[in-house]
Amino acid sequence: MASTSSTVTSASARRWRPSRILNLGVNWVYLVPALFFFVAYMLYPLLQVVYISFTDYRYLSREPATFIGLKNFADALADPIFLQGMLRAATFTALFLPGVIFIPLFLAVLVDRVENPRLATLYRVILLIPAVIPGPMIFVLWRWMYDFEIGPINSILVNYLHLFTPRNAPQWIGDTPLALPGVAIMSWWWGLGYHTMFFLAGLAAIPREMFEAARVDGANEWQMFWRVTVPRLRPMFLILVVLRFGTAMAVIDEFLIMGGLNRGMPTYTWTVYMWHLAFGLGNWPQGYAASIGWLGAAAMLIVVAALFYIFRDRD
Amino acid sequence: MEATRSVESVPTHEAAASSPQRKRVKFSRILLHATIIFFCIVVVLPVAWVILMSIKSIPDAYTGELFPRHYDFTHYRYVFEKMPNVLQNFANSIIVTFSTVVITCTIAVLAGYALVHLRLPGKVLVLSLLVGSLFFPTRIVSLIGIWEIQNAIGLINTRIGLILPYVTLNLALSILIMKGVFETISHEIVEAAKIDGASSWRTLWQIMVPLAINGVVVLIIVNFVTAWGEYLLAYTLTNDQSVRTLPVVLATTFGGFGEWAWPRLAAIYIMAILPGILGFAIAQQWYMKGLSEGALKF
Repeated sequence: MASTSSTVTSASARRWRPSRILNLGVNWVYLVPALFFFVAYMLYPLLQVVYISFTDYRYLSREPATFIGLKNFADALADPIFLQGMLRAATFTALFLPGVIFIPLFLAVLVDRVENPRLATLYRVILLIPAVIPGPMIFVLWRWMYDFEIGPINSILVNYLHLFTPRNAPQWIGDTPLALPGVAIMSWWWGLGYHTMFFLAGLAAIPREMFEAARVDGANEWQMFWRVTVPRLRPMFLILVVLRFGTAMAVIDEFLIMGGLNRGMPTYTWTVYMWHLAFGLGNWPQGYAASIGWLGAAAMLIVVAALFYIFRDRD
Repeated sequence: MEATRSVESVPTHEAAASSPQRKRVKFSRILLHATIIFFCIVVVLPVAWVILMSIKSIPDAYTGELFPRHYDFTHYRYVFEKMPNVLQNFANSIIVTFSTVVITCTIAVLAGYALVHLRLPGKVLVLSLLVGSLFFPTRIVSLIGIWEIQNAIGLINTRIGLILPYVTLNLALSILIMKGVFETISHEIVEAAKIDGASSWRTLWQIMVPLAINGVVVLIIVNFVTAWGEYLLAYTLTNDQSVRTLPVVLATTFGGFGEWAWPRLAAIYIMAILPGILGFAIAQQWYMKGLSEGALKF
């Protein structure tokens, strides 16, 4: 089969020889629309942000921007608000990552065992409901869920379980130590179905014979999970940990919607600070904001490289 | 160990209904389903609460009790009849989302097809740039630059000014999804079409896209969800309430009395998430097939 198809290819290639080089280039036409959008709304803005990060550009200032070299970066590294913002983002990431990886993994192992195909589909569809609600709508929903007055979470804690009184009921959003855990719980809920599907696809790719063989060797469920399932899902772990690390460190919508632009709040991370500088503080020091964006991104990339190194194949 | 071991082989034990082993089997299966159902309930409850909120009478919405004494089903009609601004925001969301989904999906299908089935010098470079962009927080870093561009060409506070950057939001992921889907289609089909004299363009639209339709459904849903709910760009690039999209309006509105009473907010919310949930319910079987056909294995 393979040999016939390769002879066909070479035959047709020979027939088209005069225009072969042209043909190769012509195929790039299919990528032109994609490239247009990448260049216009990703590459060019990124480069422009690089450029203005070396200037003292302020949008609302009448004075022309001047080149100031690395001063913005030096200022940012000495800026306690930026450093605290990085620490807050890292705290959120540490809270969020375990739950968004291990809860869906546990659930996927369970759903994988459901034998009734209709029930299996039903479970999957229900679990995927949050995945078809856009993120910001989820954040609006949970801001209401956590609401001190009308939110159902406090309503259950106070009126039904009687664990708290209206006076000492927990405050979930705003200037409270529960703000970051609250956002993390919400994000677990949001990602539960999607990541379960991710792991289910990985589990489906493991040959059943591997489990059979392990079972014959006398392994129990727990041992099979650690010796067959986990090693087989390793590449998936890597992708998920790196992707979710990236989303968690760069979270901004959640914090803008549930926290707002108040420096004292735990949700005022480096991303919110960057946004606040660029579009709200003083005369909009966008040059400085740009340098903060790049520093945050660079810090993230260093950790991503480290994660790839940790998860590398050791053989 | 015995109990868990027999979970998988339940049908073979069906005959031994009275043995103690059967009881243990039953228990572990009940536990399995109970745990999954618990998670399903946790997933559904917040949505159920908003639905309940949207049919509460206004005084009941402020009591802190979960279930109201009086139901009031008129909030939806109130939004339609008395809140024209919200309908305008709804229309904005529809226009912006529809355009974004159509443009992004078309571009992703074209690019995915070329990357898999056509000879393309520099393919590896394109792919590594696409994958690399997934690991970089472009959305945050490029935000100021995008604002500068839209400001320079006068697209602040316009719908088209939202659509253009929206296309880029999910483009890398969309191309990689389509690449994964097209990879599952045998290259010999392309070769056969070529021998029959079909151009690569005709091969794509008449042969490949119909074969990849499950993947396209995944693509449409993924892009719909992103565009329909996009907040950061919409919040940054618009400040005129009449061109804003629903998520921005909902996120910047804090529930209170009067027009924006909680049950009415909840009714707007349900109207806003309904298109996605309905679309998903209708396209569910293709979506699931698409996921299993490689739309997740990028």
